[in-house]
Amino acid sequence: MDITLTPEQQALQLEIREYMKSIMSSAMIEEMKDPEYYEGGGPEYRKGLRKMGQDGWIALSWPKEYGGREATAIEQYIFTEEVMRSGFPYPFLTTEAIGPILAEYGSDEIRETVVKGILQGEVVIAIGYSEPGAGTDLAALKTKAEKNDNGWLINGQKIWTSLANFSDYIWLAARTDSDAVKKHKGLSMFLVPKDNPGFSHTPIWTLGVRTNATYFEDLQLDDKYQIGEVNKGWRLITGQLNRERLSLVNHGPIQILYEDVATWAAETQGKDGQPIISKPWVQTNLAKVKTGLEVLRVMNWKQAWAIEENRLGMEQASVAKVYGTEYFVEVYRLLMEVLGQDATIGGDSPGALLQGRLEHRYRVGSILTFGGGCNEVQRDIISAAGLWMPRAR
Amino acid sequence: MDFKLSAEQQDVQKLAIQIFADQTDNEHLRQFDNNSRYDTKLWSDLGETGILGISIDPVQGGMGFGFETLCLVIEEAGRSMAPAPLIPVLVSAALPLQKFGTEQQQSILGRVATGDCLISTAFAEPLNDDPLTPSTTAERVAGGWQLSGLKHCVPYGAQAEKILVSAQSSEGLVALWLSPDNEGIELTDQQSTSGEAQSHMTLTNVLVNDADIMAIGSDAETAMTYALQRTQAALCAFSVGMTDKMVRLTAGYTAEREQFDVKIATFQAVAHRAADAYIDVECLRLATSEAVSLLDQEKPADDSVKIAKIWCGDVTHRTSQASQHLHGGIGVDRDYPLFRYSLWSKQVELTLGGSAQLLSELGESIAETFLNR
Repeated sequence: MDITLTPEQQALQLEIREYMKSIMSSAMIEEMKDPEYYEGGGPEYRKGLRKMGQDGWIALSWPKEYGGREATAIEQYIFTEEVMRSGFPYPFLTTEAIGPILAEYGSDEIRETVVKGILQGEVVIAIGYSEPGAGTDLAALKTKAEKNDNGWLINGQKIWTSLANFSDYIWLAARTDSDAVKKHKGLSMFLVPKDNPGFSHTPIWTLGVRTNATYFEDLQLDDKYQIGEVNKGWRLITGQLNRERLSLVNHGPIQILYEDVATWAAETQGKDGQPIISKPWVQTNLAKVKTGLEVLRVMNWKQAWAIEENRLGMEQASVAKVYGTEYFVEVYRLLMEVLGQDATIGGDSPGALLQGRLEHRYRVGSILTFGGGCNEVQRDIISAAGLWMPRAR
Repeated sequence: MDFKLSAEQQDVQKLAIQIFADQTDNEHLRQFDNNSRYDTKLWSDLGETGILGISIDPVQGGMGFGFETLCLVIEEAGRSMAPAPLIPVLVSAALPLQKFGTEQQQSILGRVATGDCLISTAFAEPLNDDPLTPSTTAERVAGGWQLSGLKHCVPYGAQAEKILVSAQSSEGLVALWLSPDNEGIELTDQQSTSGEAQSHMTLTNVLVNDADIMAIGSDAETAMTYALQRTQAALCAFSVGMTDKMVRLTAGYTAEREQFDVKIATFQAVAHRAADAYIDVECLRLATSEAVSLLDQEKPADDSVKIAKIWCGDVTHRTSQASQHLHGGIGVDRDYPLFRYSLWSKQVELTLGGSAQLLSELGESIAETFLNR
């Protein structure tokens, strides 16, 4: 067993770390201070994403026929880790989850326009799954698509459609067979262009970031935008959720927060004239963060390796999801304790520490334990698939 | 990066699983619960099959595999509660002996590999489990050294032919091999919570020949650190097997046990506590893999070993309590195997650094790193 990066992998890590400094320009950092643009969508964001496309980074793990570099799962993980570490709001679900589905199931025209656009950094896609009455129980969704002479007529409402305010398409799950005996059957997938007159959205301001409610009213959609087999969309949805779970708990952003707080604590003197980091309780908090962080890193690496070896157990993504998200929430607390009350000062105010990142991150972090598959459901999966315990009902 | 076990490691693992499976059913283990947790028949079988010589140099009759391979056997011992002193003999004593011992000192390794003798290491003194800062003293005298002090919780001290000891001298730390029958050594049995044989060892002006000195000064510090870190990591590997088995016993039991006319595993409160234990064990496994792998390759592992042992302390405690709780009354009954795992959990948790102490040490190391950047 060798749980270290190879020299080639290390070189890739450093290359991306250096490269991302050019993407996270001061103009980009300034743009992200606007809550409207925190998750992307501004002109600097578009510029950065286009540059990453031109420089071949978006296609890193893609096949050669798409101009990709066919990176391994481990190399792709290193890329994800470094991009997330940089803080750039890269649209991973567009490039890693929906893009490959469109390449596999879309028509030639979709491949030529949408897939190519994704790889060039021109196209961003928002995900339209959750509805007011369908969250953790996703298969209960009610948005309806009916076949007609011109293609499909769609009616319904989605919620928590993040990025929909600036994305180019919505990746939409809708019910196409209301009589299906099992509710996860009878669902189909659609790609809805944002400029379709039947589409509209309103903002939802959450504890952390802006997201959206989206509306589909007598929305007429051409046949070419129906993706994959009709009534068999569930498989495409769940395949994507597993990827989402893994990208949620990447250790890159926590690693840099930990390093920044520890550096601050070493460089800053307390009122006793000693560096903050010389206090035993500060050291203990940092040790707790590092103890959890090492495991998060190795867990992610091992899952990337297992994906490459094609031996990832069903419960493993759930283990990472529960462990990672609950650890994140704990880390924000441990690191905020080190900064003290100053940690609660917003980034734009005098006296803010580390650009107010922790004040913002703990607010965003409150969605982690229920987003991307509620942790209770993940624990059900672990006890059933990992321990063969019988399930309720 | 490669998490795969080599073919030879997989063979060793299979062999260990098989030997332990044959000799660790509940009835059999009962004989050793109040008897040193040492099955001499099992030990000699382990010698015959070559398991005891796994990481001993071929020159001494061993197989010469690395520390990581040895830890696979130790993990299986934890899983099966095999009454065999693998960690004290093969890790704490044999590894530093092989690395730092003189040719004459190493000559005992052949008999260790065949199972004909036990060796051990005395890390702890009362209120001090750091072998680098002992209160025991060593003084040069004609023909050798004179040793005085007190060691305790010495694993298998009464059975060992040689015991590695560290002492403070005017020339720095001294690491040396004691023969328990030397004059001035008094051994008294100590009752450990796991039932492992341990000794309280008083040293009164014990004369030690120059030939038994292994290292002096910074060399002795290196040797004792080498022994300490590998022992800590091996305790983690033992705990991976032990806690994994506890969770599986719990899953199996709750899947059968009925209350309120249903299997109790179907209660989410039960399933989720088991799932949390499963996650805990996976975290311990990952932290342990990293520490063991780094030690195996002789790469810097100071922080990794501490991190693994912190997880070990936390996970043994939590898994043991969760398993006892979810079993209800049957779990504490000594006719059911779980009690043995719980006793060993507490033993391992507190051996060579509990979580609070190691978190504090890790924190100091982090502070030093960032202050010197």
